[in-house]
Amino acid sequence: MQKKCISSVVALLALPLFAVAQSPISGFMNGKGHGAVALSYSSESYDKVLLVPNDAQGVPIFNKVNVYSKSLYASYGISNKFDAVLGLPYIKTEGHASDVVLNELGYENVRSGVQDVSVFVKYNPYNCKVGKSDLRFIIGAGVKTPMGKYKVDEGLQSILAIGNRATTFNGVGIAQLRTPSGIFFTTQAGYSVRNGDVPNALFGEIKAGYAAKRFYADFWYAGQVSDGGVNILGEGFTGFFPATDVSYNRLGMSIYVPIVRGFGISVGGSKYINGRNIGSSTGYTAGLAYNF
Amino acid sequence: MLLNHKNILAAVLLASLFATPSCKKEDSDVAPSISSIAVTNADFSTLEGAAIQGGVAGVLSNPNPGDPSGDYTVFAPNNAAFSRLGLNSDSDLSVLNDAFLTNTLLYHVSNGNLAGSSIVNGGTSGSALGPIRRFIKKGNDLYINGSKILATNVMAENGTVHVVDKVLLATGVDIVQSALALSGAKVFNTPELSFLVEAVLYADLAGALTAAAGSPSFTVFAPTDAAFRQLGIDLGVALDVPADIRKLPKETVAAVLLNHVIADGGKFTPEMNSGAIKPLGGVDLTFGDFNNGTITIKGKGNSVPANMVIPDVLTVNGIVHVIDRVLLP
Repeated sequence: MQKKCISSVVALLALPLFAVAQSPISGFMNGKGHGAVALSYSSESYDKVLLVPNDAQGVPIFNKVNVYSKSLYASYGISNKFDAVLGLPYIKTEGHASDVVLNELGYENVRSGVQDVSVFVKYNPYNCKVGKSDLRFIIGAGVKTPMGKYKVDEGLQSILAIGNRATTFNGVGIAQLRTPSGIFFTTQAGYSVRNGDVPNALFGEIKAGYAAKRFYADFWYAGQVSDGGVNILGEGFTGFFPATDVSYNRLGMSIYVPIVRGFGISVGGSKYINGRNIGSSTGYTAGLAYNF
Repeated sequence: MLLNHKNILAAVLLASLFATPSCKKEDSDVAPSISSIAVTNADFSTLEGAAIQGGVAGVLSNPNPGDPSGDYTVFAPNNAAFSRLGLNSDSDLSVLNDAFLTNTLLYHVSNGNLAGSSIVNGGTSGSALGPIRRFIKKGNDLYINGSKILATNVMAENGTVHVVDKVLLATGVDIVQSALALSGAKVFNTPELSFLVEAVLYADLAGALTAAAGSPSFTVFAPTDAAFRQLGIDLGVALDVPADIRKLPKETVAAVLLNHVIADGGKFTPEMNSGAIKPLGGVDLTFGDFNNGTITIKGKGNSVPANMVIPDVLTVNGIVHVIDRVLLP
């Protein structure tokens, strides 16, 4: 039972805990009738922007940007092989432009609001043994669409936009190898089809971790490659940021510890290691989860 | 069927294994745009702010629709160039009138690629603003107007960048209208040269300094408002507001003003030589040595020379150098 509950929570840990998600779903299944609800808080900041071909030290106009998010996540096992997961973040971005610059340009240092709701389903059609280890395959699909009325077309003010206002349709394939010791490896790849001028993207992730009754930890390496899009300050750039080629690789980690009566806490961190048309942020997250 | 199922899932596994490490795109095959050069080079941070405030950052990110090559040439002032004007950060740019800032930026831009090898002494180049720029060689250095060219041929995806040590300034109007623009807060958001404008009007010299067909061009030294206030202190006459100029005898004001005008067709600082030169007022001025893009100017009645605050401003009938002291005959 305890193992089941741990799985429910770790099934959430790969949800978009940061403003730019590393991967929408994890390689763990809830089990029928089990699930988890989590509230998380994350904080990211960057003062360097990954551009093409050279990076910019200092964010134009805003110098440095902080991104704070408070998110609600839920995951539920409809059957042993079928999970539904939901995520809804509230995001606040904060720039550090001087009052003089803000007055001159008519800009503001803060943008905030409810971002995009995401609903995913994942299906585990096949498991097999590899020696003493379990190999699990999962396929998933989901939709992410703006819930709030945030703007993305405010010119350079939209450096602080909290999202890209795209509705995205996502498909993903996952393979996970779990050893008897609790050590596991997960790899996944997916494709995201996005509406409007937002380029589609391929995303992927590899993860290694340890999952046991009283402790969970993982390290992950994730990336996204936009299928098209323009470069900021490059040919075709009109000041509309959602149309840009946002590609990146990130490293991160998560830890989860159950506390009492189904409650547990999670902490995590992540860092961009390369990319283009995105802030080079380092972020931290902490969350409280209840699993059943 | 099961085997097929396995094969599909194995393919997913393999795809995902290979997908993630291949997520890095190479940047080295992309040349930066002119805007990108400004934004990603720390020595152009004020220019970056100016391009944003002046509304040209997007334009200079893209190909030039006005030239078959799709390219621009930009003479890019570095941070030190802006600091000469007291503009040490993007916050300081708020002292500038937006239209003036945009026009000033456009004066640094021309269509097509102007290679460094094409910049030769005596040559000229048009600008996106309209007024031409002059190329001058002094010693081993090349100048565009009064701005030293520090580096040439920084290649961008949409053109060529040359780095300069002074902001290029052109008003697009004549000397009188230029002074009126400054006093009317159309350059800086706070008025400047207000005393000078009042003095020119009082001394009936506006006609002589207004451009007309066949009229001569001048080099003009334009004292700041602070310079006139200091003159009042030196003379023991309260010059608190521009109208106070009219407390002085009209002939005296005219004589002093003519001491600031040289009928030489208009010279940029690299074209000036140290020594004596006769202004329209008839009493020699003494130029100091050319040093870091400026010279000092001393009137016969001055105990200390004037310094250039804003040198090398191109107008349609001459070059104006704003100075910090009234030149006394």
